[in-house]
Amino acid sequence: MEVDVQSTLTLREFGCEQNLLSRPDGSSSFVQGDSSVLAGVYGPAEVKVNKEIYDRATLEVVIHPKSGPPGVRERAREQCVRETCEAALLSSLHPRSSLSLVLQVVHDDGSLLACCLNAACMALMDAGLPMGCLFCGVTCAIDQEGQIITDPSAQQEKNSRAVLTFAIDSAQRRVMMSTTKGSFSVNELQQCIAVSQKASEKIFQFYRDSVKRRYSKTL
Amino acid sequence: MSDCLKDKVGDVLLPGDIFSFEIKPEKVICGPGLRRNGDEILVCKSGILRHKQPNMYWIDSQQKRYVPAKGESVIGIVTAKSGDIFKVDVGGSELATLSYLAFEGATKRNRPNVKVGDLVYAQFIIANKDMEPELVCIDSCGRSNGMGVFGEGGLLFRVSLGLVRRLLAPQNAIVKELEKVFPFEMVVGMNGRVWVKAQTTQHMLVLANLLESCENMTAQQRQALFRRVADGAS
Amino acid sequence: MAAGFKTAEPLEYHRSFLKENCRPDGRELGEFRTTTLNIGSISTADGSALVKIGNTTVICGIKGELASPPTETPSKGYIVPNVDLPPLCSSRFRPGPPGEQAQAASQFVADVIESSEVIQGEDLCIEKGKLCWVLYCDIMCLDYDGNLLDACLVALVSALENVQLPEVTISKETDLAEVNMDKKRHLNIAKHPIGSSFAVFDDSIVIVDPTAEEESLSTAMMTVVTDEDDRLCTLYKPGGTSLSGEKLQDCISRAVTRNREVSKLINTVIQSVKPQK
Repeated sequence: MEVDVQSTLTLREFGCEQNLLSRPDGSSSFVQGDSSVLAGVYGPAEVKVNKEIYDRATLEVVIHPKSGPPGVRERAREQCVRETCEAALLSSLHPRSSLSLVLQVVHDDGSLLACCLNAACMALMDAGLPMGCLFCGVTCAIDQEGQIITDPSAQQEKNSRAVLTFAIDSAQRRVMMSTTKGSFSVNELQQCIAVSQKASEKIFQFYRDSVKRRYSKTL
Repeated sequence: MSDCLKDKVGDVLLPGDIFSFEIKPEKVICGPGLRRNGDEILVCKSGILRHKQPNMYWIDSQQKRYVPAKGESVIGIVTAKSGDIFKVDVGGSELATLSYLAFEGATKRNRPNVKVGDLVYAQFIIANKDMEPELVCIDSCGRSNGMGVFGEGGLLFRVSLGLVRRLLAPQNAIVKELEKVFPFEMVVGMNGRVWVKAQTTQHMLVLANLLESCENMTAQQRQALFRRVADGAS
Repeated sequence: MAAGFKTAEPLEYHRSFLKENCRPDGRELGEFRTTTLNIGSISTADGSALVKIGNTTVICGIKGELASPPTETPSKGYIVPNVDLPPLCSSRFRPGPPGEQAQAASQFVADVIESSEVIQGEDLCIEKGKLCWVLYCDIMCLDYDGNLLDACLVALVSALENVQLPEVTISKETDLAEVNMDKKRHLNIAKHPIGSSFAVFDDSIVIVDPTAEEESLSTAMMTVVTDEDDRLCTLYKPGGTSLSGEKLQDCISRAVTRNREVSKLINTVIQSVKPQK
């Protein structure tokens, strides 16, 4: 099952800025094409007694949609982002403290969850929280002809048969998180994972370049 | 991803980068941002890899939130007084304790004059993830050694932890250049708090703004700025 | 001794079982708990089902209501699922507005309904742009012992199979809906999405159908939903430790066989209900 990865692998223009907010301990904005998410991290800070965990930090994730109050969809996304971050963070190094991650959607033009994950990872890195590995989000859409589109726009997502979002870790390029929409075959799933793993390499390189740019002044 | 650490000194590293030991497991001291994981060294913070002879390595990151570490000197704000101890806010995840006996010359009768709201310059004697951090204002010989309660006046502000470490490095260029602008007193805490005192309030504000702007400037930009300020100030 | 060990070192306790390829309740790693199904247990609802997977008990009631179809899809009715985790089912849930897990489960069920196309939206339409059926699917957990999502899906699909809606016509003269209660018909269930949940222990050991205790000790959870054509409807893994491609493939094949087992169960239960009418 060899996949013709190169021909299908196109990502939109990426952009990232770290440490752009003065109040949070770590912040980032992540832009994928027209999708844009702003992230802020506070912590390790004092934790509420009822949320204290004796052997690790408590992580809270809040996603604010562009307009209106957060709904059930945001809750489900928050759960995905939180559990992905928890797996990447070495939270046992800051027991009995709280970490809070706030994600503000600036503009939604497809691949929103992937963009949230990327913004979250950059913000956690900026806050200097200890992490065992990095993670990135990749969205794949399968269109009516069975073609795989990586990092689709809102229009492409709408026209597609299935949309799959994965979080890939930087250590072994394996799937940390996955949510899907629409039905697809096992073969298509494996192809999408393979494409996402390829895409993750590009994204991790982009991470490295943005962090390098940030530290270039103090090098 | 298994290059040796030595080749990467001065490079920007990201969490998740893994290094193996060179040939035989030699003695390596891992500083902040590095963790030993079996036969490998794992990077867990983003930043620049630094090295100090003979085998000390650490990651220099631009973190903002302070995490207490044993032996570090910090500027704290006394927030409460409860019995024998003061609760001190140092910017970490919980308040640090400071015993009233941990001042120079303090005895059960001769209590130090510390009020809620005072600033103290103190050193961590206990700081680990499982215990409440504890501060002292004396060194191991019982001398104050510059630590204790701050006097009247002065201005306290926050800068990034990266800048603090740069300011505290011996023979630091920023401090040397600032000294030429106008005379001032400065206390730098490892927790990112800086206290300055100069002749006038205006000078203190100028100092605070200059230090904050140092964060993202190259040496040339900084020197030009300082020169402009010095011309204006005199 | 064993009880003390279990309380003091729950993770070590489980590990010592997993090392021997079995689990504290005597199951093998790939074995589901006994699943029992009861259809039509709520007589006031249009369709209902009670599912037990081991101790986990979930009940689903479906109520059909008439409404005007949404403007963007005038020829489709819709389904509104809601998962409720009352304090009754476990001490971990507090009274008050639905918590994160309940909301995430509701969203999961809604996503599965949309992805799998259980029911063609057109089947629920009575008159285009004017009148359609809305199916309110209330899923309530009565006893929480892990693997909520699987139980929810089995309950939902069986309850949908059980739904009988009266015939509705719009009279030409009055332009009002007329409900004929004597003529009831079943829904046309196009797909049977069935889920299989997995828990990952220590980054490598995968077990199916975790209990609540196993869920809390595991490092990652995953739910694979397949339909009878062996297509995947949802691969839901909300974070946690990563999983290799081969392990994923194993989970999917396990999910496919599980789908067969559950479909068979649902069919036998439906058949057993039918002759009595």
